[in-house]
Amino acid sequence: MIFFNNKSKKVSADAVGGVKMQTKSKAKSNFDLSRKNAWLLWLCQCLNISVIALELSTWMLAIIALSLAWQALLLHQGREKGNSLSKNKTVSGHTHRQNSRQNSRQGTNVSPIVLGIFALLGCVAIVITAKEVGILASMLHLLCFSYALKGFELRSRSDFYQLLLLGLFVLAASLIFRQDLAFSLITFALLVLTLAVLLQFFSFEKTFVTNIKVVVILLCQSAILAIVLFLVFPRLSPFWQVPLAKSAETGLSDTVKPGDIANLTRSTKLAFRADFGQQKVPNYSQLYWRAMVLEEYDGRQWSRQHKFTRNKTAAAAKNFSFDNSATGVSPLSYQVLVEPSFQKYLFALAPSVVTGDAKGIQAQADHTFNNSKIISQAKSYRLTSYLTAPLTLELTKQSRQLNLSYPQGSNPRLEQLALQLQHNYVDVQARAQAVLNIINKENYSYTLQPPLLKNNSLDQFFFDTQAGFCVHYASVFTFVMRASGSPARMVTGYLGGEYNGVTNTGDNTGKLANKGHLSIYQYDAHAWSEIWVEGKGWLRIDPTSSVDPERVNSGWSTQLLQQQSELNNDLFSLYRMKNIAWLNALRLQFDALDYQWTRWVIGFTTKQQYDLFKNWFGQMVSWKLALIIAVSLVISMSMLMLFLHLLNRSKTKPQSLTKWQILYQKSMAKLAKQGMDKPSSMTVNDFAKEVRQQCPELAIVFTRLSASYNRLCYQTLSTNEQEKLMLTMQQQYQHFIQVLKK
Amino acid sequence: MAATAKFSLARPVRRFFQKHFERWLARRIPSQQEHQLNSRNIMIYPTRFGLAYLGFVVLVFLLGTNYQNNIILLFSYLLASLFISVMLHSFYNFSQLRFYSVAKQQGYAEEVLYFAIKITTEKTHYDINAHFTDKALNSQVEKIELCQQGSHELRLVYKTLQRGKHWLGRVTVFSEYSLGLFKSKSILDFGHYAIIYPKAKSLIADQYQLSAQADEPSIDSYQSTNSVGTDDFSELKSFVRGESKARTAWKQLAKGQGHYSKHYQAEQSQLHWLKLSEMPSNDVEIQLAYLSFLIGELTASNQSFGLQLSTELSCQSMNIAPNSGFHHQQACLTALALYS
Repeated sequence: MIFFNNKSKKVSADAVGGVKMQTKSKAKSNFDLSRKNAWLLWLCQCLNISVIALELSTWMLAIIALSLAWQALLLHQGREKGNSLSKNKTVSGHTHRQNSRQNSRQGTNVSPIVLGIFALLGCVAIVITAKEVGILASMLHLLCFSYALKGFELRSRSDFYQLLLLGLFVLAASLIFRQDLAFSLITFALLVLTLAVLLQFFSFEKTFVTNIKVVVILLCQSAILAIVLFLVFPRLSPFWQVPLAKSAETGLSDTVKPGDIANLTRSTKLAFRADFGQQKVPNYSQLYWRAMVLEEYDGRQWSRQHKFTRNKTAAAAKNFSFDNSATGVSPLSYQVLVEPSFQKYLFALAPSVVTGDAKGIQAQADHTFNNSKIISQAKSYRLTSYLTAPLTLELTKQSRQLNLSYPQGSNPRLEQLALQLQHNYVDVQARAQAVLNIINKENYSYTLQPPLLKNNSLDQFFFDTQAGFCVHYASVFTFVMRASGSPARMVTGYLGGEYNGVTNTGDNTGKLANKGHLSIYQYDAHAWSEIWVEGKGWLRIDPTSSVDPERVNSGWSTQLLQQQSELNNDLFSLYRMKNIAWLNALRLQFDALDYQWTRWVIGFTTKQQYDLFKNWFGQMVSWKLALIIAVSLVISMSMLMLFLHLLNRSKTKPQSLTKWQILYQKSMAKLAKQGMDKPSSMTVNDFAKEVRQQCPELAIVFTRLSASYNRLCYQTLSTNEQEKLMLTMQQQYQHFIQVLKK
Repeated sequence: MAATAKFSLARPVRRFFQKHFERWLARRIPSQQEHQLNSRNIMIYPTRFGLAYLGFVVLVFLLGTNYQNNIILLFSYLLASLFISVMLHSFYNFSQLRFYSVAKQQGYAEEVLYFAIKITTEKTHYDINAHFTDKALNSQVEKIELCQQGSHELRLVYKTLQRGKHWLGRVTVFSEYSLGLFKSKSILDFGHYAIIYPKAKSLIADQYQLSAQADEPSIDSYQSTNSVGTDDFSELKSFVRGESKARTAWKQLAKGQGHYSKHYQAEQSQLHWLKLSEMPSNDVEIQLAYLSFLIGELTASNQSFGLQLSTELSCQSMNIAPNSGFHHQQACLTALALYS
């Protein structure tokens, strides 16, 4: 007996142990992604990192690519293992699901030591290069590095969650650098993808496309609340100083050499936009967007005056604004929206005054504007220009000296020409015209591919190569003017812009018909000169007009466009696009959308929010503000709930009852009065049996009724038969009532 | 020290809350065979991932605010409102499910019992999980990934070593659809209980003999069994495990015609009793295990028998009159299970 006892105990102990072991192993391996899901997750990682790839350094990209490729390899190997497993057990019908579970991502798990060493090395590399690339970039490196490595250790569900959240954070971080509509849409698409991977985890059986659909629906529903939040939630000022993005500067630079701008014009990136509202847009040849005035020349390149001296003159900048408004020239008011350039200069049609919110914008004496901070986000400001008004009428001695200086002997042949001209033409303007005439008459050409100059020699260009871009001509002109003793300077900026009138909101009044905006791209970059004429101030002279008048009057010639598309060698070059009408229309449409996006979403500032409230609700008080926020949130939330409720109701709408169902339910109700309830789980036949036992007098009639009901419900009958049976059932029902009454 | 103090303080508090929660739950979701999920019995709360997600949204909001970046802010608002719409989706995915389950299941100890829960739906639901609420049961989570319109079945597994009547308590049904941010949960009470029979323990034939119920309580039951052999031989039946070797038809066995046992006329008409007191062990549990085995064997060979658990004949509830068949077997086994 004792023996038995022991044995049974042992058995029971084993059994308990077995159960425990089972649950333990279950807890360990209960996370496994299906094969499809694992690949999707991998794809998601690749795409998410690719949106931020431009901000990462090459070595980090290499590491990330390596680890992702490694993961792909492991995944692939995992599949082979899974296949061999499934070959071994293809017998039972259940295997399908088991297989899909077995082909899990366990394969991507790498030993923690290797991973740890790898991670440590990566971190060390990031720390070492931190100084070089800046704090923000090194944080990004760290983020992306961990995002790529996390894929190696998907051991539990929380790892999976972490990976997805990291992915979302990478997406959010990528928005620091670019916010335009196209990029935002890409980010949104990737958000959908990431969430769909998460959803796939919970609804494994659905196809990925349906999951994407579900996520899109979910996000659209959330959009209601998100938009309300965006509109009403107070904009807070930054909580702490953050490292600013140190992205590559785009656009013009502080110094310019002949040939510089020609390189810039290969880019079809947007520089800024201008909106003239309902006013007429000035002629193309008047749209000289001034960015920088370059007054120093060292024989090779033109550069801006030193900051130190510039600041001194800044005080004078304020004065002329008032002078100009008094001259009675018709003002032109417009809004400028600058794309992030990671530089400080702004654009204006000189001379102009900042109107409205002038925070952070410094006007300079040379009629340019500077932002106090590097422009890392779209920035908008309003200007009023007096296009025909003269620029500064006074010239300080210091300034005159600066604008006459040039390194003696740097370009001897040009100096000689200048002396000759000085002798022939006493009047400054006539002298300038003479230079332009030379450029016009001689065999000069305007090209995007100017031949290289030795030491940036202007002599070589003017007398030998005779082919150049705007900077060449402006440099030569300014040099000759200076050498001939009249102050001259170089100005860089943009010329013209593409008018996009598709923003027409379709207002029937026709008032807004003129509404549109001007988009100025990098290829509109330009350089021209200004000469000082006593009594008239600084006069703008564009030497380009004498070599390629089309450029100045209406924009790029087809020849230039062709040249550009050849140089860029891309399929969707501007030239090709402009030749295909529908594509061009699409491009303009998208540009208009992007403009609205930049204006209303990116540029939605605290002030605009305040104005919006003021428009809608009148004067703002803080309690009113709080009330508005609360009420709008509640309303949008209840809208969402109502919407979802209706959506779900319509799906679960009960089917209309058939005649026989009504009849049967009537008899049920009659029986219930007699104290006989049919539980919903009981079948019709079972209930009939019970009725037979409890009320024998009802037995026959009710059994017949039940039988008819069953036949009507479950047998496939022709409509004719159905009607007949329905009639019999009605008769049976009458019988049943009669018997029941007795 | 501090930790232990905290622990000792926390326990009564937790017990207090648990007690109140259970009382509240009993009022809110009373015991029923059938439940339909609606706003009354669904509890919905963020999972740990949901909370982490919220923290993440705040982080994105900080990022947007610090960079004064409207798109990042919009991103964070979108994620925040997604949190709310997922909550509603999660609720609608879970509501209107119907659950039906039979309260009672029976089986032997160490055997796996399945509590079937029938789920009826009117639309498609996803990711429906169920397990016994009681953590001590160590119940595995059963899952239906796709619950299309119609009815489905989940089978909860229960396995125990102890005989008796076990109340299994409530069943937790939950779903983390759609993004795992929220757990929609309901703690349903089907009144589940399991009748666990003692595990059958095979008995060597020599150790027992079927005994007839003595007409007079004064006569020793062993005496009466001895008289069985004196009756007229009636037939040969194939040997059933557990039968006395004394009745083996040795002649037939020796000829190689198979293992038969002799049956006698008197035995057919005579009623046999299984008695707890006669089982060869000191341990009641083992005695019950033998009885469980014998009941199984006798039913398999379609013999009629009675069960006597109490030595006092007057105690009617502990004795089951001789009978045969499946229902009789169950009644006997239930009596064994509930014996105390």
